[in-house]
Amino acid sequence: MIELLAQTGLNALYAASYISLVAVGLVLIFGVMGVINFAHGELFMVGAYTVVALYADLQMPFLVAITFGLIFVGLLGLVMERSMFRPLRDNPLGGLVASIGFLMILQALASIGFGVRMEHIPPVTQEVIVFSEKVRLPLPRLFVMVAAVVLLGALWYFLRRTRFGWALRASAQDPEAAALQGISINQTARIAMFIGAGLAGVAGALTAPLVSVNPHMGHSVIVTAFIVIIVGGVGSLEGAVLASVVYAFVHTVVTTFWDGVIADIVGLSLMLLVLIVKPTGLFGTAERA
Amino acid sequence: MLKALFWIALAAALIALPHALSFSQQEILVFLTINVLLVASYRLLTLTGEWSLAHVVIMGVGAYASAFYTKEFGVFVPVSMLLGAVTAALVAMVLSYPLFRMKGFYFLIGSFAAGEIIRLLWKRFRDPFGGPKGLKGIEPMPDFSIGIYDFDFFEPVSYYYFAATVVAVCLWLMWRIERSPVGLTFHAVHWQDKLAQAAGVNVQAYRTLAFVIASGFAGLAGALMAHYIGTINPNSFDVEVMVFVLTWAIVGGTATFYGPILGCVVLTILNEIVLREMGFEQMRPLIYGAILILSILFLPNGLESLVERALKPFRRTPASGTPAGDAPPASPASDTP
Amino acid sequence: MTDFLHVDGLTMRFGGLTAVDSLSFTVDHGAIHGLIGPNGAGKTTTFNAISGFYKPTAGKILLRGEEISGLKMHDVARRGVVRTFQHSTLFAELSVLENALVGTHMAFRPNIFAAIAGWDREDRHGARARAREALEFFGLDALMHERAGDLAHGHQRALGMAVAFAAHPDVILLDEPFTGMNPEETRAMMELMRKLRDSGVTILIVEHDMHAIMGLCDKITCMSFGKLLAEGGPEDIRNHPDVIEAYLGGARHVA
Repeated sequence: MIELLAQTGLNALYAASYISLVAVGLVLIFGVMGVINFAHGELFMVGAYTVVALYADLQMPFLVAITFGLIFVGLLGLVMERSMFRPLRDNPLGGLVASIGFLMILQALASIGFGVRMEHIPPVTQEVIVFSEKVRLPLPRLFVMVAAVVLLGALWYFLRRTRFGWALRASAQDPEAAALQGISINQTARIAMFIGAGLAGVAGALTAPLVSVNPHMGHSVIVTAFIVIIVGGVGSLEGAVLASVVYAFVHTVVTTFWDGVIADIVGLSLMLLVLIVKPTGLFGTAERA
Repeated sequence: MLKALFWIALAAALIALPHALSFSQQEILVFLTINVLLVASYRLLTLTGEWSLAHVVIMGVGAYASAFYTKEFGVFVPVSMLLGAVTAALVAMVLSYPLFRMKGFYFLIGSFAAGEIIRLLWKRFRDPFGGPKGLKGIEPMPDFSIGIYDFDFFEPVSYYYFAATVVAVCLWLMWRIERSPVGLTFHAVHWQDKLAQAAGVNVQAYRTLAFVIASGFAGLAGALMAHYIGTINPNSFDVEVMVFVLTWAIVGGTATFYGPILGCVVLTILNEIVLREMGFEQMRPLIYGAILILSILFLPNGLESLVERALKPFRRTPASGTPAGDAPPASPASDTP
Repeated sequence: MTDFLHVDGLTMRFGGLTAVDSLSFTVDHGAIHGLIGPNGAGKTTTFNAISGFYKPTAGKILLRGEEISGLKMHDVARRGVVRTFQHSTLFAELSVLENALVGTHMAFRPNIFAAIAGWDREDRHGARARAREALEFFGLDALMHERAGDLAHGHQRALGMAVAFAAHPDVILLDEPFTGMNPEETRAMMELMRKLRDSGVTILIVEHDMHAIMGLCDKITCMSFGKLLAEGGPEDIRNHPDVIEAYLGGARHVA
């Protein structure tokens, strides 16, 4: 029983690490631009497909593929910012609807480019850390966890210790005051969008060898991310990370002892409950980012 | 006089229409007719200012319920369809308690979550929902004759006449509701809920009312769909379908009664006639996505705004009751906490 | 005889801030009653508590001896206390007539089944008649088919009152009705208010500008820092040393 719990805990930590990458990006975009990016799950999917294309098909090194995933999806984020979110700045719900349109375009392009079949990606390594007979941690999973910690740490450093990060937080708190301080809204939006999208892309790239890659994989990712950002408090980065961990544990435990669909239902019900009882989230305040 | 002529001409055209189409086009016509009901009911829902992402799932509730009642209790199909609609309305009533504590984004995401929960329940519980494969062999409409015309429901033309009649009645009902004091109150709740409250309007009750009625009509649309296709599954009512509905509504515009219907008809024609003939069927989501983005960027008031502009010289008084010039997705935006 | 509208020990706290501190006063039936005070005195908070916008932290608001505090805004309205809003809060996209029709909501409660079947013809006629009456009362009947958002500023204010008047209120609460008006418009508005009172409606006005309502009110309550400062007729208030002090002191702080 203890071994089962330990294994469940490891699985949960692994899930929490890529979920938090996605959710933090979503929160960052919402905080700075006031838009809920519905296409965020599809950005994850595009990240996964860069690994399919570069690592599985073109045999490039895995690290190159995930770096490319981060940059390429980040650039995609810039395209979204410039073409949709900037012209729709005064219309946040319009931005959301436009992102739904973008989601469909990305899905269709993936289906046309790669087909709807599931992609099988050769594992980066077969190695497994064996704690005991029933408690094992495949090395690729450990890699995702380490990468998440490193990336989130870098983001934290960027936001707290650099001028750009300061500008970003300032314009998330009060865009008008920030503009008066000479902070360019367009520039902070670009940075937030690049980082937010890039994080989703790199999360998709990192997990690509561990999940089934297909054009519709973004759906469950965005549902999960919504749950996490609502539970964590919309606009709170720390809340998003904490909620990722909580959600991953709940979901993994329920999946282990019942099944995955029930776990999804539990997660969604948790989110509805938070929306009803405490819409500012369990860990957040009502402020944006 | 002119008005009566217009309606007679329209009715004649709609009766004659299927005979000018191929078999597969007739089938599309049936779906289009049902989708008109779906999108028109969606507009009714948005009248009070909230945009739901659960509408297609609610349609599915009507479909599942109606299929279930015929299968389990042997209910006569048309009666079962009505019961399906009632079931959808009741489910919406239950959902409205948690959902209408939210506004704007939160309502949107909350409705999305509620819809997903329902869809997952269908997926999870093989009994009675049939699990991921859904329900099959749903009882078709029984054939009948009205003297001048024999309804044979394996023919799409027959089902089209049946569905079109039902949809026409529903549209008439929705029109009556919107043009009534109830409809005026819906608009009032949308534009200034505080002022409406000060005038004694129970805003919550009216939001719920619009949501429940719209859901009933959506449920009926779902039942019409289920008994025509004969098989439904959780994926028949997924987010992609919801995006189609959103696209129809936004491309057509939601300020007028006919806007979303116009959007639905134009896009269906574009999709089925143009794309299918040109062999671009696979690109449908891509093109819908692009149209959604382009219309929200460049035609935020929808196709209806073009029609209204063209009709303006012919109108004596400004159309009352249907305030034009509204970019709907913009309005609840101020609810960001 | 019970008081008509009585505020009894009203207290409103937001977090650590006490905006209104055990305030009590009585509005007489058929009077124009002014609630004044310098900025931040808590008069708008009081106003919002009476109209049901806020729930009081402590204390009661009684209408003819019946408690209305803590009710939702639409329930307060149904008891006969109807408020207007600052600035020009209207259904800008609807026509002037439709605005007034929304005001008739309580008198002619819409019924969806009757509406579909067409059994509500009499109600619709009644509602229209009442809406027209309200518009005529405020001299807006010629503008009936205009879009409310297109009206001139003064007309928008009048329409705001017409919407409230259409609801057959016993009390109308007016939130800073003179803000942004020129002397001409102010005089016209005051005339309308007297007419409104003479038709039997009790009026409670919240106003920052003391001079605007001196000549209008029958009775004035002056607040400062959430507390009752003085009460009485216009003359008493005008010459009350505490009021002068509060306004001068308040003005010094604001400036």
